[in-house]
Amino acid sequence: MTFAVASVILLGLVGLIFFDWQTNQNRPPAFAVAVSEAVRVTDGRYYVPFAITNTGGRIARMVQVTAELDIAGVDDETGEQQIDFLSGHETKAGSFVFSHDPQGGELTVRVASYRLP
Amino acid sequence: MVESRDGIIGGAKPQPSPSIWLVEFQAILQGAVGGFLFGIPLLYTVEVWAIGAATGPRWLLTVLATTLLGVGLLTQVEGFRQSLRLHPVEALLESIEAVAIGVVCAALSLVLLRRITLATPLAEILGKVVFEAVPFALGVALARSTLHGKQGRNRRTTVPLARRLASPTLANLRDALIDFDAALIGAVLIAFSIAPTEEVPLLAASLPPLWLLLVMGASLGLSYAIVFASGFTDRAERRQRGLLFSPITETLVAYLVALLASMAMLVLFQQLNPSDPWSEWLSNVLVLGLPASIGGAAGRILI
Repeated sequence: MTFAVASVILLGLVGLIFFDWQTNQNRPPAFAVAVSEAVRVTDGRYYVPFAITNTGGRIARMVQVTAELDIAGVDDETGEQQIDFLSGHETKAGSFVFSHDPQGGELTVRVASYRLP
Repeated sequence: MVESRDGIIGGAKPQPSPSIWLVEFQAILQGAVGGFLFGIPLLYTVEVWAIGAATGPRWLLTVLATTLLGVGLLTQVEGFRQSLRLHPVEALLESIEAVAIGVVCAALSLVLLRRITLATPLAEILGKVVFEAVPFALGVALARSTLHGKQGRNRRTTVPLARRLASPTLANLRDALIDFDAALIGAVLIAFSIAPTEEVPLLAASLPPLWLLLVMGASLGLSYAIVFASGFTDRAERRQRGLLFSPITETLVAYLVALLASMAMLVLFQQLNPSDPWSEWLSNVLVLGLPASIGGAAGRILI
């Protein structure tokens, strides 16, 4: 009885490993970055929240997210963020900080690079 | 455990002289068990991999020689073999053997955790193996003194024989519960220092698909070897206690206990959050489950 229950649980784990292999591990990482409209202003600085999701299957390491703010007549502002681990379907969030209002210019946020583990 | 003069392991009924190879194999297995107990925490240490990868050959030889010296000193006091009196030459041979067992176990573990792959340069392989072999070899030398359950240990809760005969299943159940309690304590002791560190996600991330099955198999196999195959436990005592569970069942249940303990520790240290995908939970728990199951097995033979 105990043996049966323990075996079923462990076989369930084995099944999950196979399922993970079938659904996730064959697909390379892919990224979707969402920049929130809700810009927060504190002490004259603009905080732009972003969320990055790994829409692929495999885990990615050292995911580098860069932001570039183009405002006419002002020097470009850039920001960079590195995320250590991002597994498949995982979402992590953060913020970029600018000293100019991002509404007044063009903000580009993209994933610049990542590393396979 | 009862030790007879002529090296028979087990003790209750002398078997008709077990083959010399079996005795030898068991001695090696006992040494290896000690090595794993002592070496696993350092195996899960990123700095040791880095040191190993960046060390020159001369220094590696120095490390090996120092290890041999340390193991030799330990062997003078307590070897991993059954014989109690040692000739100096024997002590030297046993030390070399202990270091060799340590090197082999360390190499196998590094391969299992993908710190050594087919793509790893030879110099790096050597460095990692030599540095990881240090704690393994010391563990091998200490195996006998640390791992033998106390002779005729008095479990606080062991029921007197008369009552045990009166209600066998209840006493068996209690003994089984004590076993899993011991497994839990051992698992937490060994894995607690590993759980909050970065190595768990790092190792889990670098395992290729289906490699987790190998990690599971190794955890179960080591757990079984420590408790039932190495001859550390007094089989007679276990038989007398009337096992409620067969060895296989006990190994499986103890592994589940170790996995649950691993999960609890990872959640406690915020390594796993409800927002993390389930595949991350699975891989992290199984990776920490390896040291936890080794600790759980040690707990069952010691407590």
